[in-house]
Amino acid sequence: MPVASADAMRMPRRRSLWLPLGMLALLGLAALLMSVTWGSAALTLGDVWAVVRGEGSPLARTLILELRIPRSLSAFAVGGLLAVAGALMQVLLRNPLADPYVLGLSGGASVGALAAMLAGLGGALITGSAFAGAFLSTLLVFGLAHGTGSWTPSRLLLTGVVVAAGWGAVITLMLAISPAERLPGMLYWLMGDLSYARSPWPPLTLLLAICLLLVPLGRSLNVMARGPLQAAALGVKVRPLEWTIYLVASVLTATAVTTAGSIGFVGLVVPHMLRLVLGNDQRLILPACALAGGSLLVLADTLARTMIAPEQLPVGVITALLGVPTFLFLLYRSR
Amino acid sequence: MTNPCHTAIGYGLLGTALALGLVLLPQAARAEVCAIDDRDREVCLSAPAERIAALSPGATELVYAAGAGEKVVAVVAYSDYPPEAQAVTSVGSHTRMDLETLVSLRPDLVIGWVTGNPPEQLETIEALGMPVFYIEPRDFEGVSHAIERLARLADTREAGERVAAEFRDGMAALAERYAEAEPISVFYQVWDEPLMTINDNHLIGKVLTLCGGVNVFGELSRLVPRIDDESVLAADPEAILAGGMGEENRGWLTHWEQYPSLTAVEHDNLYFVPPSLIQRPTPRLLEGSRLFCEQLDRARGKR
Repeated sequence: MPVASADAMRMPRRRSLWLPLGMLALLGLAALLMSVTWGSAALTLGDVWAVVRGEGSPLARTLILELRIPRSLSAFAVGGLLAVAGALMQVLLRNPLADPYVLGLSGGASVGALAAMLAGLGGALITGSAFAGAFLSTLLVFGLAHGTGSWTPSRLLLTGVVVAAGWGAVITLMLAISPAERLPGMLYWLMGDLSYARSPWPPLTLLLAICLLLVPLGRSLNVMARGPLQAAALGVKVRPLEWTIYLVASVLTATAVTTAGSIGFVGLVVPHMLRLVLGNDQRLILPACALAGGSLLVLADTLARTMIAPEQLPVGVITALLGVPTFLFLLYRSR
Repeated sequence: MTNPCHTAIGYGLLGTALALGLVLLPQAARAEVCAIDDRDREVCLSAPAERIAALSPGATELVYAAGAGEKVVAVVAYSDYPPEAQAVTSVGSHTRMDLETLVSLRPDLVIGWVTGNPPEQLETIEALGMPVFYIEPRDFEGVSHAIERLARLADTREAGERVAAEFRDGMAALAERYAEAEPISVFYQVWDEPLMTINDNHLIGKVLTLCGGVNVFGELSRLVPRIDDESVLAADPEAILAGGMGEENRGWLTHWEQYPSLTAVEHDNLYFVPPSLIQRPTPRLLEGSRLFCEQLDRARGKR
């Protein structure tokens, strides 16, 4: 045991921290570049370059500046938010099956969004209603898990799972009683879809801010991942740290879900994938999650909108189709 | 005290006025066209539409009916009528459009579907500077009215008004003919799994009433209620009419033959109505309604 924890505490060498992050940043840039140059309207690299330099035809400018770039940046931000939130939840609950949605947040957001759609509201009102639902769900789980007794991760997990099941029932009920013509929109929202994304800047700003905020917490998170007793023994204030993680993960997830619906899979698998390759050092894993999650969603969204264009696929399908084989391969190779 | 700043503003104003004049003059010369859409918004085009994107199969039919078929540059999946529409570029399904393809086709008028198209995508289309005209006919007059308004926006008034009048007169003639018809209880099946019907407010429900039928589920509160076999047995309609997936699908009707006690089965009053003729609010509804009424008449004949 002492050997293991000493091993975990050892500072990784500088090079081993920056090299993977540099590679992932390059991957992210490549994914963004690809998504800006690929689309159902054929634009050449030259057209894209002309627009970047401030020239190009009005049509190309509209396509790139108003459709592709905002959507790609939104995809990057949402993917990053979900992956970071998933990694945090896995540390908080010490459960490998934890993902951003495990505590019922996406359920609350979905009920909010579907209620707005049922009422015939559109656009910003759906987003607002989804955020309200996510917020309500967070408060509900937090308050109930606190209860009259102690606040333990397993109690939090159980409360969250049961609340999520409750939201699930409400969602099914809403789908059952909603008029047929509204169903497709609702299903797309539930599967996650970037065409709901509006301005990319709020989620992007949040992603950057949270990554910077988490840097000083990295060491404490590493200790937390080993268990609360050890963390307390090593001088970490466990309770406030747990609350911080929970609130941060909730805000990240709520922002992601309200931007693009509940996109599954990214938050569960990207952190695991990175741990298999990079080891379990939160100081490296959290920023790596932001970059890898963002890149995965940008790639997936590009494929979703071009693969069988003009038909548009829900992005959740592609994230799973890309991620499942990659993850299984890494898992198979690991010892 | 000549302030260079004031001079600059003065020239700026002069320039703006000149520019406005230059922009406004040719527009005043080209006739502006306006129409109120089904979300009660006035949509004005500086010139009649030349490139129309129709974002639902029904809208495509209505634009062609309005005589503006030549101007349609974009449709969505399942826009199968008139047959020429199948050759027009598709921009995906009506629930999720490929905005890139749509923008590339440079439409100057987009026909949206109030409840069928995703609102956030239509908002984006408007934000990109393409005017959206929402339509959703909810009754027979709505069909004619939609055709007339589309014809005004596309400057094809003569053709559009003729088709609209034909439809209006045809439906009025049917209404007159069946006004005194003996009431007959009817169950209309929209879908089989889950079993779905329509209430009196639905367009098909209105056809049913027009033909002198009494919808056994007309009082239900939902527009397209989901029901079960038991409620059909309890209501015991005299005739069962069904749509279906294809144009020749009678499979849904044979399902009812397992209940010989149903009056509709006993009298062999199980009829198929091609869904394309009755489930879209377009001029083809006239033909569908004629068929619907004839079948109810046949059922009356078996009493």
